[in-house]
Amino acid sequence: MVQAAGVSKWFGDLVAVSDVSFSIGAGVTALLGPNGAGKSTMLRMMCGLAKPSNGSVTVLGKEPRSDVAVLGRIGMAPQQESLLDHLSGQEFVELAANLHHLQRPAESARQAIQTVELDPDDPRRLSTYSKGMRQRIKLAQAIVHDPLVIALDEPLTGLDPRQRREMISLFHRLGSEGKCVIVSSHVLDEVERFGSRVLVMAQGRLAAEGDFREIRNLMDDRPLRISIRTDQPRELAIALLDRGVISGCRLEGTDGMVVDTNDAAAFRRAVAPAARDQDASLRELRPLDDDLESVFRYLVTQ
Amino acid sequence: MNLAVYRVILRTQLSPARLLVLAGLSVVAILLAFTARASDDTVEVATRTIANFGINIFAAFIALALGSAALGNLVEDRTLVYLWLRPVSRHSIATAAMAAVVTVVLPILVVVMTVAAVITGVGELVAATAVATALAAFAYSGIFVALGLRFKRSLLIGLGYIAIWELLMSRLGDWFARLSIRSYPMSILSDATDVSMRLADRSTLASYIVPLAVGLAGLLYTSWSLTRTEID
Repeated sequence: MVQAAGVSKWFGDLVAVSDVSFSIGAGVTALLGPNGAGKSTMLRMMCGLAKPSNGSVTVLGKEPRSDVAVLGRIGMAPQQESLLDHLSGQEFVELAANLHHLQRPAESARQAIQTVELDPDDPRRLSTYSKGMRQRIKLAQAIVHDPLVIALDEPLTGLDPRQRREMISLFHRLGSEGKCVIVSSHVLDEVERFGSRVLVMAQGRLAAEGDFREIRNLMDDRPLRISIRTDQPRELAIALLDRGVISGCRLEGTDGMVVDTNDAAAFRRAVAPAARDQDASLRELRPLDDDLESVFRYLVTQ
Repeated sequence: MNLAVYRVILRTQLSPARLLVLAGLSVVAILLAFTARASDDTVEVATRTIANFGINIFAAFIALALGSAALGNLVEDRTLVYLWLRPVSRHSIATAAMAAVVTVVLPILVVVMTVAAVITGVGELVAATAVATALAAFAYSGIFVALGLRFKRSLLIGLGYIAIWELLMSRLGDWFARLSIRSYPMSILSDATDVSMRLADRSTLASYIVPLAVGLAGLLYTSWSLTRTEID
């Protein structure tokens, strides 16, 4: 449904996207990457908002930048919070429905608003909406015309855990209906729940693509340094070394240590039983280089 | 033209601050009209008052304030995306923006300045004022709608254009005057009352055609820009 072929995008000297190629079909696909990785630029090009400096992006076989008609099959929720603040939620979504030439715009708008669990009869202007409500009304305007391709840029920002669950389940429902749902995020754990297919972008390049579990395993296989606070660091370190889940250890003070592991998954499984066996209480487990940037740096070098 | 886009932009046009400025300018126009009526050479003073205030200031500034904001505000607060993402032609968005501006600018400007012309008591000035201000409003609206889409600080750039080009440079010679919008509607006023004014010596045909052409050119440029611009 969506194809990118050798897509690059630069703004002056800044290269935002560099020679990215991929193909996305029906279902939920996560576009994962740290801030500034080029995810939003890629989504904007998919929706025709920006023109690739090089290469091409096609949606349903058409170039959305030049073919206005294909925009009728695309829905997008952009990242920015700004909305047409002088309108109510119903007016805002109804405007989208009108511009998509729907037969019954008011009714379609009500339905879309209810789908994202907002009240279509809420007379308040959008300027009064909370961050979570703004995210949901953006989603409503993106789906009101029942598009085949839905691009959502960081759609879970500002939602509470229950709303996140609801939204993720909505993404899955749309995906299972045969729609192509592309969801960008910079939160690794969030992406885990989106679905199995992932595109990982880092520094404007496509760092990895494929099944999330494979990529997660790749991430887990990388060397990881973890800080542990416990009342018995020496005993716990020996136990972890005995189990072969750490490759090195440095004691820090009387209640701390830093360990190196090459198998994060095995370490996660072993640390609690090891502490229990040693009668040691674990006070803190803190990965020292588990931020997304370091994960992506690692993936890029693989 | 897309009616839904027209309605959305129209609703953003009249903020309380803008209404206040419009009311202020309207009051000044009426007061100036009474002053012209009381003068010794009513025809000359009235014609110059309508030209200098109605066209050079009122029409230019109201068109700038509303025109630059029509699409400019949507660009600035990054909400143009919600109109651009739809399967509607870019020309219909541009036309809707221009129509929304003209819907507000034209009646206010034409009604206030025509009432002012009536107050001066110079009969031959009334119809000419209505036509001249309408043409000036159309031309300036076209330019400033395009300016709002093209530049981030369009209000400042527009002020610079009015002050430097329209009010200063246009006085430097005939060729500069020909490139100044105000000289054309001023010529309509001058033709109606036979009052000779600097800049107001354009032919009758040009006085009508050029402002219309400028407004349309602005509209076409806005349409073209919308197809080329990258939406944030």
